[in-house]
Amino acid sequence: MNKLKIGIIGMGRMGITHYSIINPHPDIEIISVADTTNVVVSILKKYLKNIEIYKDYRELIIKSKPDAIIVCTPPDLHSPILELAAEHNIHTFVEKPYTVCYEDSIRLSKLFESKNLINQVGYVNRFNDVFHYVKEIIDDGVIGDVIRFKSEMFSNTITSKDEGKGWRGKHESGGGVIFEMASHAIDLINFLLGKPIKVSGTSINKIFSKNVEDIVSSTIFYNNGINGTIYVNWSDTSYRKPTNKIELFGSKGKILADQHSLKIFLNEANTKYNYINGWNTVYITDVFRSVPFYVRGNEFTGQLYHFIDLILGKKNNSISSFNDGADTQFVINEMFKEI
Amino acid sequence: MQKIDKIVFGDNQFFGINHMSQEKAQQLTEKFHDINNIYKVYNLVYDNGIKAFFLNSNDRAIEICNHFKDNNKKFPDISFYVSIPYPYKYANMVAEKGIVSSMNDILFKNNTIGGAVGMIAKGSMSVISKDAIKLMQILIDLEMKMFSGLNVKVIFLQNIITDLILGYNIKEVFEEYYNYVKKKYNSIPGLITQNLPYTLNKMKEWGIKDMVICSSFNKIGYLMSPDINSYLDVIKSNNKNDYQLMAMSTLASGAIKPDEAYQFLENKNIQSIVFGASSKNHIEDTKQLIEKYI
Repeated sequence: MNKLKIGIIGMGRMGITHYSIINPHPDIEIISVADTTNVVVSILKKYLKNIEIYKDYRELIIKSKPDAIIVCTPPDLHSPILELAAEHNIHTFVEKPYTVCYEDSIRLSKLFESKNLINQVGYVNRFNDVFHYVKEIIDDGVIGDVIRFKSEMFSNTITSKDEGKGWRGKHESGGGVIFEMASHAIDLINFLLGKPIKVSGTSINKIFSKNVEDIVSSTIFYNNGINGTIYVNWSDTSYRKPTNKIELFGSKGKILADQHSLKIFLNEANTKYNYINGWNTVYITDVFRSVPFYVRGNEFTGQLYHFIDLILGKKNNSISSFNDGADTQFVINEMFKEI
Repeated sequence: MQKIDKIVFGDNQFFGINHMSQEKAQQLTEKFHDINNIYKVYNLVYDNGIKAFFLNSNDRAIEICNHFKDNNKKFPDISFYVSIPYPYKYANMVAEKGIVSSMNDILFKNNTIGGAVGMIAKGSMSVISKDAIKLMQILIDLEMKMFSGLNVKVIFLQNIITDLILGYNIKEVFEEYYNYVKKKYNSIPGLITQNLPYTLNKMKEWGIKDMVICSSFNKIGYLMSPDINSYLDVIKSNNKNDYQLMAMSTLASGAIKPDEAYQFLENKNIQSIVFGASSKNHIEDTKQLIEKYI
């Protein structure tokens, strides 16, 4: 079998990571990378002799003719890159946030689907072993009907004054805590409960960033009466690593979870899952799924291997499609209308 | 190759690291906020006859290193197993500023990370940026500054970095790392990895040997990629004269009971175990168990 030819566009932090994760995959071959930054390109040129290196993503797509691309550029470049990829029938994995424009996110999702091209957004929490397990037990009705939720995310990413010169400092290019981090907290709720219908009461704080927000909170509503809140802060120095926390209150009990463990409180024991009535704890060590090559966590490998499996037809259950990305973009878009 | 210590005392518990529970991690951070509580644990460990300490190059390790340098009469015979770099201090910086300005800051500004001024005789940014090897050497020197004056037996490349570079499949980087650590620091080069079978096979393929390889190794296969059986196979057939193996995460963050965990490691061709603990009983019990089974 011919190996699947992969191109990577954007060799920043995520591009560098994705390269390492997917390069050892036995069924693929990285044939090209594109980046505008001299430092990264010059280092790659020296050591990766068999790989075509471009400064312009258009050249990578048109000249190197990959079967699939991984897009890790600043978010405002996503739409034109995805557009061109679809035109050339290239399967595409794009980092979050999927686009900076809600209309684009719907249009591109339809475009990729109409051409039967595999499309995935890098909402990595969908591949986290604990959150995957939470999804399973919620779908199985373990806590009954979900009534109320809370989805929070914290990190110590922005902790000094930011003048807003880079892409992260402007909304137009996809910067700010809503695009960069709240997108994860929102997507996690969408993953568990589906697409909401309404957003209300969005408020923000600026601490260090000049042009964008550092904290956001908002309330999200579903048409079946479920509602809950989002709270995201990327200037919280009490967190060593980015952390997602969710709480789901249901008619039979509740779940508290983060990337490493979950606590389940049940009004009555559940024999299928071996939970007692009262508090139960499940750790990542109880629910992890090993991955073929580990770099930054099982979820990072899991999501890229899933993308390859979808292309090769080994799986057909899309877990984080452009359509899912568009649902998250809907909430982001509604939040922006309020601030 | 010099033999490594069978029992090495780790430091994750001091820095709020617990892979299983963020709540536990937070409790530990509170307990060890006062650095004297860390020194108390080291005294207990040393009094128990453990003479090998594992240190990650985070900011607090600077203070700990100075403590051991100041008290070298009290601890005359300790070996250090150090892991560089501590990736989180760079990761946040890169997230905030991007790769290029982070590199500029790390290499040319006298910041909290290392204070590289004066170490840049090796070349300007434009030269360094084209030469990953030179860049790596400068970063090793920066990270090793805090350990200077201590008896460093093994210098490990931290797992995120090892595995990230491994994915690129560039032999020269590992070769040069090996040579530099050996020649400049006279320590045994080491790699920490969450992909032991892959790493061992690559090093063999590239002919790089006389190293220590440290990896998670536990009964439930936690943090062992691709899977536990591949680990068992590759460890069983390993020649310890070429690669000494050190097991970490042997308790899988507390998911396995100690007796069961160390019994699993019996006759598995493992040369060393790194473990962390904070109480007297726990330290004594673990040491006894390791000696019983290994």
